[in-house]
Amino acid sequence: MAPSGNPSRIGVDIGGTFTDLVWVDEATGAVRVGKLLTTPKDPSQAVEEGVVALLHEAGARAAAVRALIHGTTLATNALIERKGARVGLLATAGFRDAVEIGREGRYDMYDLFIDPPVPLVPRQLRVEVSERVLADGSIHRPLDPVQARAAIAELGILGVEAIAICLLHAYRNPIHERTLAALCAEILPGVPVSCSSDVVPEIREYERTSTTTANVYVMPLMARYLDDLERKLQELGVPGRLYVMMSAGGIATPETAKRVPIRLVESGPAAGALAAARSARQVGLDRLLSFDMGGTTAKACVIDRGEPLLAREFEVARADRFKKGSGLPIRVPVVELIEIGAGGGSVARVDRMGLLKVGPDSAGADPGPACYGAGGQEPTVTDADLLLGYLDADFFLGGRMRLDVEAARRAIETRVAHPMGLGVTEAAWGIHRIVNENMAAAARVHGIERGKDLRGYPLFAFGGAGPVHAWQVGRILRVPRVLVPYGAGALSAYGLLAAPLAFDFVRTAPQRLTAADWELINRLFEEMEAEGRRILRGAGVPDADVTVRRSAEMRYFGQGHEVDVEIPTGTLTPTSLEPITESFEAAYRLLYSRTPMGVPLEALNWRAVIAGPSPDLTITSGLETGAATAPTAKKHRAAYFPEAGGYVDTPVYDRYRLDPGARFAGPAIVEERESTTVIGPGALISVDAHRNLVAEPASGEAR
Amino acid sequence: MDPITLDICWSRLIGVVNEQAAALMRTSFTSIVREAGDLSAGVFDRRGYMIAQAVTGTPGHINSMALAMKHFLAAYPLDRLAPGDVLITNDPWKTSGHLNDVTVCNPIFRGRDCVAFFASTCHSADIGGHVLSAEAREVYEEGLFIPIMKLYEGGRLNESLAALIRSNTRVPDLVMGDFHAQVAGGTVGGERLLEFMEEFGIERLEPLADEIIMRTERAMRQAIGELRPGQYRYTLTSDGFDEPITIAARCEVRGEDLWVDFTGSSPASRRGINVVMNYTEAYTTYGVKVIVSPDVPNNEGAFRVLRITAPEGSILNVQHPAPVAARHIIGHFLPHVVAGALKEAVPERVMAEGSANIWGIQLTGKNRDRSPWVYTFFSSGGTGARPAQDGLSATAFPSGVLGTPVEVVESLAPLLIERKALRDGSGGDGRYRGGLGQVIAFRVRSDEPATCSVLCDRTRIPALGFFGGQPGLPGQVLINGRAPDNPKGEQTLRPGDLVEVLLPGGGGYGPPAERDPALRARDLQQGYTVATSRGATGG
Repeated sequence: MAPSGNPSRIGVDIGGTFTDLVWVDEATGAVRVGKLLTTPKDPSQAVEEGVVALLHEAGARAAAVRALIHGTTLATNALIERKGARVGLLATAGFRDAVEIGREGRYDMYDLFIDPPVPLVPRQLRVEVSERVLADGSIHRPLDPVQARAAIAELGILGVEAIAICLLHAYRNPIHERTLAALCAEILPGVPVSCSSDVVPEIREYERTSTTTANVYVMPLMARYLDDLERKLQELGVPGRLYVMMSAGGIATPETAKRVPIRLVESGPAAGALAAARSARQVGLDRLLSFDMGGTTAKACVIDRGEPLLAREFEVARADRFKKGSGLPIRVPVVELIEIGAGGGSVARVDRMGLLKVGPDSAGADPGPACYGAGGQEPTVTDADLLLGYLDADFFLGGRMRLDVEAARRAIETRVAHPMGLGVTEAAWGIHRIVNENMAAAARVHGIERGKDLRGYPLFAFGGAGPVHAWQVGRILRVPRVLVPYGAGALSAYGLLAAPLAFDFVRTAPQRLTAADWELINRLFEEMEAEGRRILRGAGVPDADVTVRRSAEMRYFGQGHEVDVEIPTGTLTPTSLEPITESFEAAYRLLYSRTPMGVPLEALNWRAVIAGPSPDLTITSGLETGAATAPTAKKHRAAYFPEAGGYVDTPVYDRYRLDPGARFAGPAIVEERESTTVIGPGALISVDAHRNLVAEPASGEAR
Repeated sequence: MDPITLDICWSRLIGVVNEQAAALMRTSFTSIVREAGDLSAGVFDRRGYMIAQAVTGTPGHINSMALAMKHFLAAYPLDRLAPGDVLITNDPWKTSGHLNDVTVCNPIFRGRDCVAFFASTCHSADIGGHVLSAEAREVYEEGLFIPIMKLYEGGRLNESLAALIRSNTRVPDLVMGDFHAQVAGGTVGGERLLEFMEEFGIERLEPLADEIIMRTERAMRQAIGELRPGQYRYTLTSDGFDEPITIAARCEVRGEDLWVDFTGSSPASRRGINVVMNYTEAYTTYGVKVIVSPDVPNNEGAFRVLRITAPEGSILNVQHPAPVAARHIIGHFLPHVVAGALKEAVPERVMAEGSANIWGIQLTGKNRDRSPWVYTFFSSGGTGARPAQDGLSATAFPSGVLGTPVEVVESLAPLLIERKALRDGSGGDGRYRGGLGQVIAFRVRSDEPATCSVLCDRTRIPALGFFGGQPGLPGQVLINGRAPDNPKGEQTLRPGDLVEVLLPGGGGYGPPAERDPALRARDLQQGYTVATSRGATGG
């Protein structure tokens, strides 16, 4: 067969263990998926091998690849493993310790033995410069150029490989940072430099310094890697451009990625959330709760109006993975996920109170759950799921791995059932319920913190363990229905192909709205939008295809938490006040039921997202909804559903034989290679045109 | 109730109070509440027993709020409460020890039936009187005292009370805004609680509460039972206001009981550093829990087990109308006294003495347009060293109140902060070194004079080390390079005056001779310690 010349796109997601690839023929919608081990020493090697193999399998020509979109955890890993550059910091005189003093808190009030995250720049590499800008942006003390030169030279002598420049109030007036950057380029040419006013022009010196430092810390590494990758693609004869997924879900060119690599840190999880968002749009849902449960953790993300919610800050390299405040704060837009210590490997134990606790620690892959038979003695969620009949000992990972039921039973019996005076089944059901409760509780608090009532959000479940638990988690959260996508294994890589080329900007300019300087605000938006258009134009997006979305973070004067409010495009004038106020009040009321009277409004940060068109992917073309059919079970097995009286003979369906239009009732189990979907009694399950499994309570039944 | 269902109900209740706290923090108008986490939130059954508490920044509120609920119920028994009522008080003796902490309580009704209470305590932006300082001679000078009253009655704001409060505070909008936030938090919590009760078919919380309390109590007793029995004593001295204050503790471990008695502590001070019994109990409980049972949750059951006593009229059990505004200065020492005593029982689980109290810098003055301004920010010195780790530098302990970013301080108040840095050489030497204090230098940017009061301690008597560890450096307050007569006193600042605040370092753990030379070399290289004629010192 001659290689196909149809235009195509490739998504590549480099994870800690596996590199996933997806190739899509843009003309026919044909899809190929590849998976190979990540090559940590030179990650571009696995990408190269994977692309070659994928094109070969697909019978496609390299020359027809129009774009390769890439998500990676490289930057994250460099931060966790502390393998970045030797960074020097230039700080305002008197404030070099800001990055070490931090917020002065302890992330666990009851643990005397915690230590704070160690700053990326050790103290002897932090050098102070004589200058001072005030909170209003005015200059209190001009930058002393002679002293500044000496400070930069000192960093040179100290052998720094990259420099972060973080001055007080630089988000209001970046002039001194810019002057310093120019001096650095002159005195230490070739040493990469990041200014805080460029990376994160927002108030709060600790968070801004931490972010800027992390940015320049991974900069040399990411530049090297992206250059390598571009070169390799060229050598392969791939003419298409390389794009990189950002943490907020947009994709950017390598030039942008090299300037602000910190914005790539969460690109892997962002891709998963984007895939969920795309599925939501495909099936005509404007909101979803995406729920990804793997071996060690579960991640939940709220999709609203077809888009994942964004946060403005997250943490990397946490000392305690599930404790807020134990990591380095990174203030960049990021798809907002909550990560919960609940996965298939989560360990169950009886605590001091005589109660059952599940997680957050995990048996991991080695020794793994007791049922892996690799020496694990502690009972885990997977062990419970196996005893409850949800998993098939002979069909785990499509039969590639056999599970030891007896080992699971022994572990649960000795470590949980016996100490608690329960039967083994009760104990296993307890483990299953509690891990579901943990996930639901975390998701619910996450919801309230973002002002979302999750009861209106269908649950979209993927990851190895997600589909096993989704129905029960959905019941606790009272969601209207549960969706399980087809081919959940490569979902993140699909997400890469769904992202538009986009970039977000922010400017801090606190304004009381009744006395706002609209001229200034217009200028800020114009600046951001011009910059965005310039970047997109450089990437080949015509101006006509560019969309702009503006928002502002607003609050009542005196409050400290803001609410995002959409801002109209075009020139703003005092008459814009009314619609903006109305949007704010509506958003506020939604969150907190009432609005205080007579308090003026202020806006803190002004934001703009400049995006190219969303790729139109019709990868499911050819799948039509057939007539409703009742599928045949491949077999039956006993699975535990207390609502139905205990262990009941449950039909097991082969996911690959369920066609669109298939309908059946719960309880039911659906197996595919990488995961198993478990749906309880009282559910109606159907397969939609996109091969999603859709489970809803049978009509009339309250959840 | 089977243990699995109990477990699930329990975690639901904790989830509900976390939602209450999240809603409160997001709607608060005060940076101390939002940025510093100076709040607490909890759910109570109809007997007033605390069942669950949100994880927030302030041990000082832990059981003081729990004790407050019993007073609410005494003042307003169930038959005097109706749907839409909200109670309020800042009575220091019934809540958390000073007028600035305002507790708001939402009774939750199911139909006409009160099933639970949600309460929260928040540090109010201003409650009138002296700006939070130790200056007052009686509580009457310290601000508006709100006895237990109804803030809302049947859903309607008590306009008379609101008018009274508004006219007694410098920043009425912020203060009323925060009450609004507290009520909103209670409302959110209440809604979620009723949903939860319906889902599980729970008519009354009390059986669930009893089970939770019983199991917690049992766990707490078991943890105490693992301690070596005996009587352990420790005495610590605070600067006090005018004269030093002795805090003496005797911890008696007998079987599964633990009694902490403060007999031998100083009598009440004439200044506002006195501690009410509620607050003494809160910080003593916290001090015991971090050492003995950090994994046992906070509820009625954890508090019952400990017996905590202090002589009436002593500084740790002060009587009305003694001044109490700066009670945390003494209160924050309590976990250190407890650690000092229990170190003989469990040396591997204690932290040496640290800077202890969080320093509060209170400023008030007039802007260039003559409008008044008030601003408070908090900072922390170093903690004591630990059995196998150095102390934490510039980190709050026992308080969890966070510092405020310099950029935020300067955006909200007419201040120019010239320096905020670790205080080199301030950590006490030892096998493990005490955490470093910090230095903060600032001026007021106004043509008008301003008043500054620094709520501080450990300026005369440093944080001591444990088991041969050296003391940390004591703290200092300097105005234009000179120490005022009393660092705790109200200082008048002329325009341009430089205030330097040097926070204390923590004490070391174990003999300095046993310190790992590699750690010593790192400290010198990074400048955490400074070389002197006596050799490298930690303090």
